[in-house]
Amino acid sequence: MPITWVPPFRFGIPGARMKSYLAYVARRSGQLVLVIFIGINLAYVISHASPIDPVEQSISAVTSYGNTAPDAIEQMRSSLRELYGLGGSPIEQYLAFWRRILSADFGPSLSAFPTPVATLIGRALPWTAGLLTASTVIAWGLGNLLGGLAGYYQNNRGLKAMGVIAMGLHPMPYYILALLLLIVFGFLWPVLPITGGAAMNLPQAWTLEFMMSVLQHAILPALSLILVGVGGWFLGMRSLVSNVVTEDYVAYAELAGVRPWRILSFYVMRNALVPQVTGLAMSLGGIFNGAVITEKVFGYPGVGSLLVDAVYAGDYALVLGVTTISILGVSIGVFVIDLLYPLLDPRVKVS
Amino acid sequence: MAAILRDLLRHNAEFRIGVLLVGSVLLLSVLASFSPFPPENVYVVPPDLPPSSTYWFGTTSRGQDVFWQLTFAIRNTLLFGCIVAIISRLLALVIGLLSGYSGGWIDRALMSVNDTFIVMPLLPILVLFYFVMRDRMSWLMLALIMAGLGWAYDARLIRSVAMSLKTREFTQTSLFSGMSTRQILVQEHLPYVMPIVFSSAMNNMVWSIGLEVTLAVLGFTDINRPSIGGMIYWANQHTAMVAGVWWWIAFPTIAVVMTFVGLFLLAISTNQYIDPRSRLGRVGDVT
Amino acid sequence: MGCIRALPLILCVLFSQLFLLTASGHGQGIPQDIPRKELLILENPEGTVKNAGWFNIWAINAGSQSNGLQQAALDTLWYIDPESGLDGVWDNSLAADKPHYNADFTEMTVTLRKGIFWSDGVEFTADDVVATVTTQVKNPGMRFSAVLASNVASVDAPDPYTVVFKLKKPNSRFHANFTVRWGAIWILPKHVFDKVEDPLRFDFNKPVSLGAYVLRSYDPDGKWYIWQLRDDWPRTTPGRFGKPGPKYLAYVDPGPPEKRVIAQLNHQLDVVHDIAPEGMFALAKQGKTTRAWFKGFPYAHPDPTLPAVIFNTQNELFKSPDVRWALALLIDIKAVAMAAYRGAATISAIGVPPTGAHPATYHAPMEGWLESFELDTGKRKIKPYDPTVGKQIADMLRPSMGEQIPSDRAEIARAFGRGWWKTDPQAAQELLEKAGFTKQGGVWTTPDGKPFSVRVMVEGDLRPVVTRAGSMIVQQWKQAGIDARIDVAQGTLPTRRAAGDFDTFIGWSVETWGGHQDLSYFLDSWHSEFVAPPGKPQPLRNWQRWSNPALDKIIEQIRTVGFDDPKSIELGREYVKLAVKEMPTIPLMAYNVFTAMDQTYWTGYPTAENPYTNPVPNWGNSRYMFVRLKPAS
Repeated sequence: MPITWVPPFRFGIPGARMKSYLAYVARRSGQLVLVIFIGINLAYVISHASPIDPVEQSISAVTSYGNTAPDAIEQMRSSLRELYGLGGSPIEQYLAFWRRILSADFGPSLSAFPTPVATLIGRALPWTAGLLTASTVIAWGLGNLLGGLAGYYQNNRGLKAMGVIAMGLHPMPYYILALLLLIVFGFLWPVLPITGGAAMNLPQAWTLEFMMSVLQHAILPALSLILVGVGGWFLGMRSLVSNVVTEDYVAYAELAGVRPWRILSFYVMRNALVPQVTGLAMSLGGIFNGAVITEKVFGYPGVGSLLVDAVYAGDYALVLGVTTISILGVSIGVFVIDLLYPLLDPRVKVS
Repeated sequence: MAAILRDLLRHNAEFRIGVLLVGSVLLLSVLASFSPFPPENVYVVPPDLPPSSTYWFGTTSRGQDVFWQLTFAIRNTLLFGCIVAIISRLLALVIGLLSGYSGGWIDRALMSVNDTFIVMPLLPILVLFYFVMRDRMSWLMLALIMAGLGWAYDARLIRSVAMSLKTREFTQTSLFSGMSTRQILVQEHLPYVMPIVFSSAMNNMVWSIGLEVTLAVLGFTDINRPSIGGMIYWANQHTAMVAGVWWWIAFPTIAVVMTFVGLFLLAISTNQYIDPRSRLGRVGDVT
Repeated sequence: MGCIRALPLILCVLFSQLFLLTASGHGQGIPQDIPRKELLILENPEGTVKNAGWFNIWAINAGSQSNGLQQAALDTLWYIDPESGLDGVWDNSLAADKPHYNADFTEMTVTLRKGIFWSDGVEFTADDVVATVTTQVKNPGMRFSAVLASNVASVDAPDPYTVVFKLKKPNSRFHANFTVRWGAIWILPKHVFDKVEDPLRFDFNKPVSLGAYVLRSYDPDGKWYIWQLRDDWPRTTPGRFGKPGPKYLAYVDPGPPEKRVIAQLNHQLDVVHDIAPEGMFALAKQGKTTRAWFKGFPYAHPDPTLPAVIFNTQNELFKSPDVRWALALLIDIKAVAMAAYRGAATISAIGVPPTGAHPATYHAPMEGWLESFELDTGKRKIKPYDPTVGKQIADMLRPSMGEQIPSDRAEIARAFGRGWWKTDPQAAQELLEKAGFTKQGGVWTTPDGKPFSVRVMVEGDLRPVVTRAGSMIVQQWKQAGIDARIDVAQGTLPTRRAAGDFDTFIGWSVETWGGHQDLSYFLDSWHSEFVAPPGKPQPLRNWQRWSNPALDKIIEQIRTVGFDDPKSIELGREYVKLAVKEMPTIPLMAYNVFTAMDQTYWTGYPTAENPYTNPVPNWGNSRYMFVRLKPAS
């Protein structure tokens, strides 16, 4: 008779602990706000410590090819300084910055004046979010599935081979892998597009043609991200599973004749999955950093290259805008995980 | 000790391969001391020659011997990765264990600090550090900065393990038998945490070297000092892949992959050895 | 175990689905609804444009200039060609004739061409020129506000086709501001800007064109812009030369250099702006239809700029010309040319770029003077010039490159340059000792007893060739016992250069018209009145902060002499001689741009044999290419 003992996994909290859980939520929310505040302030300080002066960069951009008389430069410098709002003491600028942030306005970009920073980010973010979310989730799912199987069926040759491939791909510098894919699929066997988010001359609208083009252009970047990401999840899951496999209750279930796939899914994977879910949340939070090299190699119009260009141009407004979004993304991801963790693992007491 | 090593070598295939791989890479980095060319000189050999018997790994477009460049590069990169990994592991261990075990306000304070570090986007900070520090930014400085930024994620991981260990029976037993916090952490919890520390150390090395390569591709590297990132930077400047000089990129990549696969194999085979439960599982195993 | 076996099967099925998505075949970004043989695809070196929908070139940092905006859509009074031009170097574009100055150069009168129309049907008149000036003077902070405000006292349109400028001070080269060398003060449409309240925040989208093309569509993410030939192209200034060949122009961001090579090999990029020398060699080898400026080595088009080692002459160590000369004599230009360009460089010993009309005006006639130039090292007098260096480079390359290297003396001089300074470590030592330096234990020390250390600033990834040259020079100086180090100023070079925050850097402070012999384009800004005190930002172009009374005299004389006056050539040669004696910068070679043109769909590109304009696609004058391009069939 099959044993239907439910393994130590339960979702939801018994009523008595609800009160302490809510107190925990409140405390954790306070922590969240504090962390965001400190993070944004740090970003502000660091970006303003940059020795790159946006006014100088603008001037050199204008004059590097032009025939501008030297005496005109001083005039240009003062008009630009006024235009960019760089007059006023550092304290005034700091307060003005916070006032703007609280009304969700990042101000105009200094290197693409007067386009608002929010517009620039809003244009790039969907591309980044789409590509990185899809790649992260696929890499996570695939990696954990294969890793779990490999950890459980430790003697299966196919899985061992997959392990070797994953181990080999994981430490490969991402740039090399991206370049290889570029050459193989862009040049040697040119079936996939290697530049841009969608085909040229296709208006951006919710049409089937556009969506298909977006998917097509996302294949190579996503493939490169997945190949590099799978390895990490695979190895992590495999070692977690091989630890869980030695637990008493698993041995007990095996001896009791519970079917392998049941053991795998309910006993082993669900216990091993918890740290991996933590990792997933944090990776998803981190997508707002953008994938700079991906965007550079595949010409994908995302947030990463926006950030690097902004740093080069000394555009504090844009740097702060992007890093603020990124800080928000990651800290909220961590917050959500911290809230869910006690629910997933009831052994953890919320003290 | 020697007997243990000999047993492992004899009976554990993974250990053998791991030793082989790591050994060859270490040999490469030792050979750097015998290089006939100073590492920073260019145009000392004819450029763009494919691998041959005179130039084992070929030559670069800058007139350097890929083999000898690689010896220096792998040595510097390994040193870099090790320093980052060791320092950030220490930080992560101390903070993670302390935080997970103590709970209460210590936990909350440390986790606030931790979260602030997790939340800071890495690339702009590193790039900004480069701008501000310029040539005072040596590789050691970069290693310290990356170590200071790279402990946060794993500290959380260790903390979550510590939190679950805290509720286990043996912890309560140790507590009742009068062991101090430090004793419990070091003697009871550490062995459980070590496998994670090993695998996270390797992940950390992969991460730090990957970041070094990223910075190099973006142009923020100390080009006076050969490293894996530096070799890729120069290969980029000379569009090596398209020009057909594949050996300039292939051999550093192979060296990096060999290093990590080797380290990983070593780690899991020694883990299997240390962990008493898996040893029991292999009782009766001949291979 | 069944699920294990099923897994690979599932993965394979999923993977193949991916490829079904690509069944449409075409690998890349080619617009579907435009016939390929009517489309010319060019590279926009500005890369991905951040605020793509911005076409107001008169506001600073707004959008991109070289996405076709200045090349195809805008226009101004005159063009001056870096090469020989379609019909002579000087082209009267919107102007009907050359500028007329009064006797003391305080007034400039321009007669305009009749029958030119904006793309929305409004005729171009003098009012547009006046509006260009007054709008920018009224709104400081626009791209040309400062230049116009400091020069123009008043501007008037006595009739619809005449403009009179009254200048604040005598300026015989005021017209240069309206002359396109790369860009210039573009004329803005009065009828559009009149309705705009704040021109600094106006995006000018869709732009109204004065040139032969209008905007058809563009990528909001800034990766491509498509322009279409106007139906009324005869009512534009390029129309004088015939109907432009391509009906559509696409300016794209093809990505890093490897991808540009791949794109051209796939015939999806017709004109590449620039790639590394190795990429050029790969293209020349594999691309049967690829054509560069030169048919063979060195392939590249020499821009009228002059990369040089620029000293910060306000720095104590580099105040003495003896020290600067010593460092110059330690450089082996052959090795630098090999390191930077794999030999595909046109060297120049003098402070004028070896391109366009200059070799005939300056380099060739001054060979004699250079060969007899004497330098006093303190112990003896030497003649440092070696006229055969160009030929030596050609000889070095011939074994591996074969027939691609010319053997004819005149061709070698054209492609590789003439002579340079002989490497002379002994003379360098004597010069350093003359300046008070001493060599202790193989290491040079300054007169103050500190080790002689020099940092060479380069731009890193943004200018790879210059970085490579810098590395080689550093190595050569190190071998001589000087503590030289390379300093990569990735992204910060413009700021540091202006601030004088460097010992030396590799860059250019010399830029000329190219096709015209007048040097005032850069030379005027080298007057000591513009040299900033240490610590203050230096306006372009005198990055070396060199001031010399003899130079000032030459510059002041040039200011009084007309633009086309042959006397300006004589004065130019005086400058060259002074710069050789003082060596404020060490000229190296021309800035070679590896522009590659694909002849699969289009032929008729400008080349060294047929130098009717500059093919480098971000230059405003590249528009003259469009009227000569014909479909290849």
